[in-house]
Amino acid sequence: MIAIQTGDVDIGALITDAKKKGTGAIVVFDGVVRDDDIREIELEAYEEVAVPELEKIAAEAQAAYHLLSIDIIHRIGRLAIGENILVIVVSAGHRKQAYEGSRFIIEAIKAGVPIWKKELSRNGDRWVPGEHPHGQRPKD
Amino acid sequence: MTIKVRFFARFRELLGTDIIVTSQEGTHLLTVVKKIAEKSQDGYDAIFDAKGNFREFVIVMQNGKRVETATAGSVPVTDGDEIAVFPPVAGG
Repeated sequence: MIAIQTGDVDIGALITDAKKKGTGAIVVFDGVVRDDDIREIELEAYEEVAVPELEKIAAEAQAAYHLLSIDIIHRIGRLAIGENILVIVVSAGHRKQAYEGSRFIIEAIKAGVPIWKKELSRNGDRWVPGEHPHGQRPKD
Repeated sequence: MTIKVRFFARFRELLGTDIIVTSQEGTHLLTVVKKIAEKSQDGYDAIFDAKGNFREFVIVMQNGKRVETATAGSVPVTDGDEIAVFPPVAGG
């Protein structure tokens, strides 16, 4: 499943579904809201572009690492500390493929999928600066 | 002709989003975005540099396809286009 959604993710169900024929390893990446002295975060996506981008990344990962199944669920909206932001579940015949495929997916998402997050804290709100192709960061 | 301009994240907060504008045939993408951004000095400064060009980190899409901001001054818009303008992504 590839999705952008407000609701939480049933990681256990994804793991069960990932056990396709030939599976020898499943890797789960669960990005959560870190307690950086904030109250919560707010995520926003350009969904009409982000979902096809996630599908493209999944297809590239499947081809490059021979993954047997791929789930990518990115949440949007307001999330509290400790909540799941991004869940990636991949299965493969062997651990090397599963680990490398999972890493490829998360790095590709951070590099180019149009999603943004804002930290909400008692001291004010702050958009988390992304990295742009030339390696510089925008001024807040 | 009618164009929809969408801003995201900080740019959305400064300028709004899903803005419908009417443009003449042959209008360039840079001109369309600049006209909207000029309604807010903070919004304009966030997106454009002192020379009126898109800042280096700004990302622009036309109908879901990335446009090189350096050439946005010569890219024409067409009826029904959706233009998206946003800062560097920070998902995950």
